[in-house]
Order: sequence, then structure tokens, then C-alpha cells
Amino acid sequence: MLLAAGSGSRAGHDTNKVLLPLAGLRVLTWSLRWSAPVAAITRRVLVVAESEESTARRVLAREMPALDVEVIVGGPTRHASELQALRALAPHVERGELDVIVIHDAARPLAGTSLFADVIRTARRAGGAIPVRPQPGLIPIDADSPTDAGQRLVAVQTPQAFRAKPLLAAYEQADRDAFVGTDTASCIEQYTDIEVRCVEGPARNIKITFPEDLFLAEHLLAQAHWDLTSREAMSP
Amino acid sequence: MTTEHGVFACSECGLTTEHDLRYAGRLLESTRCSHCGHVVELQQRVLLPAYLHDLEQRLVSKPGRLLRRAARDGLPFLRELPAAIVRQPFKIAREIWTVVKRS
Repeated sequence: MLLAAGSGSRAGHDTNKVLLPLAGLRVLTWSLRWSAPVAAITRRVLVVAESEESTARRVLAREMPALDVEVIVGGPTRHASELQALRALAPHVERGELDVIVIHDAARPLAGTSLFADVIRTARRAGGAIPVRPQPGLIPIDADSPTDAGQRLVAVQTPQAFRAKPLLAAYEQADRDAFVGTDTASCIEQYTDIEVRCVEGPARNIKITFPEDLFLAEHLLAQAHWDLTSREAMSP
Repeated sequence: MTTEHGVFACSECGLTTEHDLRYAGRLLESTRCSHCGHVVELQQRVLLPAYLHDLEQRLVSKPGRLLRRAARDGLPFLRELPAAIVRQPFKIAREIWTVVKRS
């Protein structure tokens, strides 16, 4: 599930950053490109804003014509977009065709094939998997207690993977309770008892937030000769 | 040079605003915040080698991309191909000139 709904167009002619060019392809296309060789991934859903649906379809037809991607319109929040996509996948989950669902933010174009394969493998074993990156330069600050220098902080990335049935049930229950999670893991934590394990997220898996990030992403892609695939990630 | 517009957080004014993005070929050359005017751009000494590295990859991957487009679009693509082949050297020359003359 590739989340690309973003905040959408506001001034009328500005573009969602995931639809901007990055080294010859649109930002969102790179994530599909890294997921394409992963044999364990059998279905792909791209979640977009309603106003960008036709643009997204054109981008897919031009840049990933051989890849079967279902495009669906998301909701006003990330949580609502995830729910829409999960409902689209629900029949496949109920028929047992999908055991794990991977959720990825299209604004992270440098995840690479290995990370997709890692989170799927770990989620199959444990129940859930999230990529994290240690942040040794940060310490937690709590006004009520002295800071603990030994405590480790991590930055959480995507793709995140979870067993499909508990994930779907958690989102349906969250919808009934009007619970809106900040990310997938928060909803899983609230409504399931499945174990979520951390896998190592690569440093290059940046999120495009500032314009400077686009320059960095372009540079990192060029350094890797525009190829973040790995052979071992391609076996099921 | 082509220009695109996208919504980003600005590292200078802190607002999430529309930015103008200028590309040399497929390489991002500069960005400008529409609210505070903050510009981020590649330095000239970095831009030219980065552009040439990128151009090399574009040229190497061109035959494969042409074949894929031919397979996808068929006859309409083949009809447009001769004119595109004629235009391509001028397009690249214009890009190189834009990159070289920027100071």
C-alpha cells in the first residue's frame, strides 16, 4: 500500500511533492520500482487524493507500464487513506490471498528492495515490523524526571508491515471508535496484541519534507547508480 | 530549464508553502519558496559534474527506454520518432549551455 494522498493541491497549480520529478521519474514511482522485484509482493495499491487520481494514472502508465497497480482515492487523513486501501484489499485478505500488508509513504523514495523484503519477512514471523534508525544525537526531555542518557531514541520509517487480518480488524474497530492513529503502528498498538519488531532502516531512507531533501535524494540515487535493488530481496 | 511547483516545508520561514523548482534536464537545479523567497541551489562546481553524470546515465538508458515506449505506444511512437531524434541533440545542447552559463 503506497500512500501518496498528501495534502493535495491548494493554490490550484501546485503539485503534491510525490508527483514531482526526481532523477527522471516521479517521486512515487521510485518506491514502486523498488517493490517491483520483491517476489513476496503480489498486489499493489496506490492511494491518491481525488484531485490527483488522473495524474497518478498517467504517471503509472508512463513510468511503470508493466506493473499492475490499483489506484484508489484516499481520505482526508493518513489514517482514513489507510482504511480506504485496507477495505479495497479486504476481499483478498478474507480469501487468504494476502497474509501480510506493507504500508509505505510515497515521500520516502529511497527505501530499496531489501527493506521491503526485510519487513515482510519479519512481519510473517513476528506479526509486525517497522524500520527504525537510531538517533544517537537526541535525548528524551521529560520535565518531571532527569534525562536518562542511556535511553535510546529511534526515528521510525516506512515501509511498515503487519499481518493482514489483525491489521484489517484493528482499522475497522478504530473506525467504529472514531480513533485516528498518527501512523499504522499506533493503531496496531491500540487494537491488537501482535508483536511489532524493529528492523534496521537505512540512513538513506529519507522522507522528502524540505526542498533540500530532493537534492539529497537525487544525490543518493546518483551515488547508487540509480539502483537500490538487491538479489537476495527478490526470492519469495 | 523546466519549472515545476510543489508544496514543501521551507527551512527558512518554517511555513509549508508552494515552491518553484527549476530543473536542468532531469536534475534539480534550484528551489525557491514563494512566501519568503528563500532559494536553495546547487553550486556551479557541483552542478556541472552532477549534470554530466546524470546525462551519461540518460544516454546509456535511452535505448532501453525507447524500446519500452515502442512496445507500449507502437505506431504513434514510431511516427514521432524521427522528429524526436532530430530534436534531441538540440535539446541536450540547450541544457548544457544553460548549465555552463549559470554563474
